[in-house]
Amino acid sequence: MWRAEIDGRVLRFHLTGINNQNFLMQDEQTGSWWQQVTGEALFGPLKGRKLDLVFHDEISFGLWKQEHPGGRVLRPDDGAPWREFSHDWEAETAKLPVVTPPRPGDPFGPRELIAGVVVQGTAKAYSVAALRRQSPVLDTVEGTPLLLVAGEDGRSIRVFERTVDGRTLTLFAQPGGPPLRLLDAETGSTWSFAGEAVGGPLAGRRMAKVYVLLDDWFDWRTYHPETRVWR
Amino acid sequence: MLEPRSRPASRRLAGAALILLVLASLALVAVPVWLIRPFAPQTPDGLAAAFWLRRLAPWLTLGAVAAALACAAGLWRRARWWSRALIVLAFLPLAGAAWQSRQNVFEKMFAPLPGARTAAAAEAGWVAAEEPVLAVALNGDATAYPVRQVAYHHIVQDVVGGVPVAVTY
Repeated sequence: MWRAEIDGRVLRFHLTGINNQNFLMQDEQTGSWWQQVTGEALFGPLKGRKLDLVFHDEISFGLWKQEHPGGRVLRPDDGAPWREFSHDWEAETAKLPVVTPPRPGDPFGPRELIAGVVVQGTAKAYSVAALRRQSPVLDTVEGTPLLLVAGEDGRSIRVFERTVDGRTLTLFAQPGGPPLRLLDAETGSTWSFAGEAVGGPLAGRRMAKVYVLLDDWFDWRTYHPETRVWR
Repeated sequence: MLEPRSRPASRRLAGAALILLVLASLALVAVPVWLIRPFAPQTPDGLAAAFWLRRLAPWLTLGAVAAALACAAGLWRRARWWSRALIVLAFLPLAGAAWQSRQNVFEKMFAPLPGARTAAAAEAGWVAAEEPVLAVALNGDATAYPVRQVAYHHIVQDVVGGVPVAVTY
């Protein structure tokens, strides 16, 4: 999700092609071509410019609705065949060939789903299947302590920086629920999937969100060739 | 009355030019399609070539039509009936290429969403609880874009909390 603006000028995009299975879009205003997953213009007058990332989650609708009961949802365009297209879309796409050749020693299969973060310029890819099994997962990337957690639906993934007031927290899953609750060892506060303390000494405090991209391994590796991995 | 059997070099040239213009126009449109075909790898150079061909094709194909008209005008008067038929037929691919160079074939495959409209979360019965959405909260607005819909359209443009966004998947 990108801020559709460069230098204060609103851009309107159109699907214009594909580059190694990640699509390209063209802005009406200058005709430049942009890579969808990086938000970077590859050709045209705005070549080299990058769109600002708009922070967003990729989570299940049910969880989102609980957090934002007053929120809005995109209405479908019933004139377009998106329903037929999307019926088994994920399963079908997973079977499609990949044009980027796999490298020997690749830690993941090309279409394996990973959760990718970039912290202080360092990229790290986490196996989504393993994250879901082992949630919550504590890690440190470039000295930044991270919490990777799956929602109570067992599917949605969020990443937080687990420091509050300069203190690093060690979090564990609290048994019971739903709703999902985490407990930090340092203060005994309970935390929600939204990264907010809902009880204990730190009640009301929030952990900073870290943007995470759920992507196919081959695509993540294309744009983050030096990425670290976690399985 | 005997017709001269030999044709002057300029007629041959005009005929050859016409054929070349047809081939060039078709190439201008076909080469980018070939370079950006799905399930084939793209290289930076190939992509650059596709970009420039697509950017120039609308004008070059029109130029080709104009040049072809000039050739046709030169050839017409002394052409036999079948030559004239061929000349006319040559304008089919020429016009076709000029038209095609101005089409967005990708948006024909995946119809764009012209204007994003939203509904209240409680009314969104077309989204199941377990379906993934792309969720953004900005300046008091919270909007969810079902991945199924965005994956089809590829790009959805909206304004959230006063910020213009392009939701992509």
